[in-house]
Amino acid sequence: MKWLTSVSIKQIAFAFVVGLLFMVVLIGGFAIYQTRGVTRDLERHRLDAARSELDVAVKRLLGRIERQALNLAGWDETRQQLVLPEYYNYWRNQRVYESGMLTRLDEQVALYTVSGAPLASSPATHGMPAVLPKQEIPRHGYGWLVNEAGTIMLYHLFPIYGDDQRQSLLGHGLIRLDFMPALLHQESLSIVDKVSLGLDLRPGEILPASKLFSHLTFNAQPDPDQLMFQKILSRTLLALFVLLVTTALLGLAAYSRLLVRPLRQLSQDIDAMQQGRFNTNPSRSQSMRIIELENIRRSLYDYQLQLRELHGSLENQNREFHSQARQDALTGCHNRRAYEEDWERFRHDMKTVPQGVAFLLFDCDRFKTINDTYGHAKGDRVLTIISDALVMALRANDRLYRLGGDEFATFLSSTTPAQAKQIAQRCQSLIDAAGFGELGIREPVSLSIGIAFCPPDQIDHIDDLPKQADIAMYTAKQPGRNRIAIYGEDTERASQTLVASRETSALFQALATPGMIEMHYQPIHGLPGRQVDYYEALARIRYNGELIMPGAFLPVVSSRRLETEFDLAVLHQVDTDLSSGQIPSGHGISINLSAQSISHPETVSRLLELSRHNARHPLMLEITETSLITQMAEVRTYLDLLRTINYRIAMDDFGTGYSPLRYLVDLPVDVVKLDISLVNKLAQDDRASQVVADFARMMSDAGYVLVAEGVETEAVLQKVESLGIAHVQGYLLGRPVPLSALSASSQDRQLEALARAV
Amino acid sequence: MRAYLICLLLTALPAWAQAAIVELEMRPGISASAEYLAGQRNKPAVLLLHGFLQTREFATVATLAHGLHDAGYSVLSPTLSLGVPLRKQSLACEAVHRHSLDDDVAEISRWVGWLKSRGHRSIVLVGHSFGSLQLLAYLGAHPDKAVRALIGASLIEAQVDSLSRPALVTELESQASNNQRTLVTHTLSYCRKYTSPPGDLLTYVRWDQSRTLAALKASPVSVQLIMGDKDDMLGRDWIKALKHVQIPMVIVTGANHFMDGEHEFDLMEHTLNYLERIQKAAPR
Repeated sequence: MKWLTSVSIKQIAFAFVVGLLFMVVLIGGFAIYQTRGVTRDLERHRLDAARSELDVAVKRLLGRIERQALNLAGWDETRQQLVLPEYYNYWRNQRVYESGMLTRLDEQVALYTVSGAPLASSPATHGMPAVLPKQEIPRHGYGWLVNEAGTIMLYHLFPIYGDDQRQSLLGHGLIRLDFMPALLHQESLSIVDKVSLGLDLRPGEILPASKLFSHLTFNAQPDPDQLMFQKILSRTLLALFVLLVTTALLGLAAYSRLLVRPLRQLSQDIDAMQQGRFNTNPSRSQSMRIIELENIRRSLYDYQLQLRELHGSLENQNREFHSQARQDALTGCHNRRAYEEDWERFRHDMKTVPQGVAFLLFDCDRFKTINDTYGHAKGDRVLTIISDALVMALRANDRLYRLGGDEFATFLSSTTPAQAKQIAQRCQSLIDAAGFGELGIREPVSLSIGIAFCPPDQIDHIDDLPKQADIAMYTAKQPGRNRIAIYGEDTERASQTLVASRETSALFQALATPGMIEMHYQPIHGLPGRQVDYYEALARIRYNGELIMPGAFLPVVSSRRLETEFDLAVLHQVDTDLSSGQIPSGHGISINLSAQSISHPETVSRLLELSRHNARHPLMLEITETSLITQMAEVRTYLDLLRTINYRIAMDDFGTGYSPLRYLVDLPVDVVKLDISLVNKLAQDDRASQVVADFARMMSDAGYVLVAEGVETEAVLQKVESLGIAHVQGYLLGRPVPLSALSASSQDRQLEALARAV
Repeated sequence: MRAYLICLLLTALPAWAQAAIVELEMRPGISASAEYLAGQRNKPAVLLLHGFLQTREFATVATLAHGLHDAGYSVLSPTLSLGVPLRKQSLACEAVHRHSLDDDVAEISRWVGWLKSRGHRSIVLVGHSFGSLQLLAYLGAHPDKAVRALIGASLIEAQVDSLSRPALVTELESQASNNQRTLVTHTLSYCRKYTSPPGDLLTYVRWDQSRTLAALKASPVSVQLIMGDKDDMLGRDWIKALKHVQIPMVIVTGANHFMDGEHEFDLMEHTLNYLERIQKAAPR
């Protein structure tokens, strides 16, 4: 039944026309049926009329014959022949005709004597009976019909009297005529079909004239008026049918032209609009003759115009959104999403058309420090300048992607390692020339670039390029490198590259494997007694029997954002060391934690758990990289919590960009560890030394406990002592040692102190 | 006079009821009929004969018969059989004429005899047209003594083509002498195709104007002719010839051959006048 609910207007029109034609045929058929009924009635009436007409004609004919017989019987010349028959033949053959007694030559008359014998002179060639039948003849005569060899002959026998009283019978007369021609000759037969007229009479059979009518067979002629009426009716019906068919077809054509086609056009336009295909020039569409449709068309096209404008606007917005979705909001270059899409397509294209491909990975050196030191606005500006410089340095068709933070990437097609390196150098040159000084950044901003290259014949390895570029980039970041490294060239020549790769692996393995992180402890001495108050726990990774130092794996930790995981691993290992009892009781442990970890609930939970050692080992937390603290209030809350359970909070590396003075003010800090760069100033005899000394005294006066880091000379130590700094740390007094060495060292120092006491 | 006759006709209607049809067998199988109107016994009987091939029903004759009867005359109006049993119709020219003038004269004689048998001792013959000729032929043959006079209205001879009559007579005589029975057709009187056996036709053809005039002159009884001066059926100069031989004759001005219309009364008047004269002149 779906068709009932969904039909086209053309189907409706077609159904209407078919229905109309069906109705016409039905009405025409009904009219024909009625006409046939009327025709049958008319034919029946006409047959009755023909019967009446034939009856009248037969009676008229018989009456005429009777009159002729009476005339002949009463004719003087007839009687004369019966008396004087000498000229009987003349009378029979000529006189009866010229006198008008018989009007037709096919009618004959013969005279018979009273005894029924023909007149003597009568020849036997006229077909008249030689002897009259022996029967009584009525006065008005007697008629009969005989089928003579297929010809119906009518005989009328009549008596001839010699007196008016009909007492003296002179003889008999017999009229003979061909019945059918005589009957048909009558002009009165206008209804009877003369051709069909016949008499049912066997050859030789004699039929009395009185029974003639019952033996007649006949049909009625078609009524010309009826035929005309039927003809007119048929023509009218045919004309009506043709007219209606023509009208229907013309109507269908007009309907199709005026309604169906415009509606279909409108439907197609609407479908096209639904499919997003717009008529480029709606105004050129042919106007419709139906006003309502024309209004709909105009409205539709107006709507289409508005929709097209809206669509155009949406497309622009979509393009803008798409562009924005693929664009880094800060730098304006492509973002990571664009990178992933483009890289996927790039890889596919390169595999289709192999060519030399280079992948360049950029990373800003010490960006975190810059950001932390100069604030996010400056840091963002630095990234913008870097992005602009890189875009400028790249080729016209190359795209720059910001993968996150200060990490950028690009991939070059149709290139060689030399060309890629040349582009990288151009990038570095533009970065070096950039005006970071205008931002108030005095530190040099540099870029480390890792390059991975895939020759056309090894294009299948294109998927390895990002990882290789990453390795190359870390190679480039290694101290002493020129900050540009090509994977495969520089990484093979420099074992550091291998190390970097090895350290990365070691780091991930260490994070997953407890015990791989090995804590070394560097003593922090109290002044002026120089006794060990704390040990700073410093992490190392034991990997394949070798010890990997923090300078090798911490960048990996930082770049991979593994600070929390790493800190948790360190806390776990410190907890293990503290639980081992190898750390002399009474010696505090200072643990380095990144700012990100402090705000991590799991870290806090671990610290709470670790705090059980506080009784034997006062615990201190050294917060580094405070520039990454974004949720100052939350960090402060956690630090306050930790202080309530006797953790001491130390700000590490104070004096560098990582530890601005603002954090010192905002955070609940107990201890300030002066960075080696400041401590070393104390050895100089200049204003800087004075500033540091004044700063140290000011901090001490403010209640902060100071720790001088990096004390490596006696002079610096004396200066530190002179400034009243409470603690000192450095190679001069003690290097970091493993836990196993810590207990021995502690015993040595106990013996040494005992000896001094002794 | 005319008014008198009209009144007479109207008052005499019941007398017509006295009419009787008389039939006589003239020849074996051939009878003839006549209407007899009985009149006053003291007046002569009138034998009134119709014209050529006509019957007693012919208007001129019928009117005259009843007029005479109304005037008190017994009138016998026969219809000559002309060879037809009880002929009632005028005989067509083209019919087979199986009669001769002799047959006609014989029938006239029979009717005269019938009148005599009815007690009429004074008979006046009145004929119209060819009937006058037939009565004249009767008078020339063997007239009965009871016949007192002849009144001939529109007397006419047996007209044929005047130029060919001798030849025709010769031809007919030749045919008749050879007993030829083949029908011949010739012009006779007003008939253009008169068909008859030659012998019978010959009896009529012989009666030309001369023979008619001679018969008039030789008539054994007095003759009175009543002729119309507008009778265009008569031969040229026929009336003049009649006058030349001094036949008593009344010329009715304006009357045609049939003396119909108002001239019927003229015919009646002149006939009655003559009959009265005869009656007065007759011995008692």
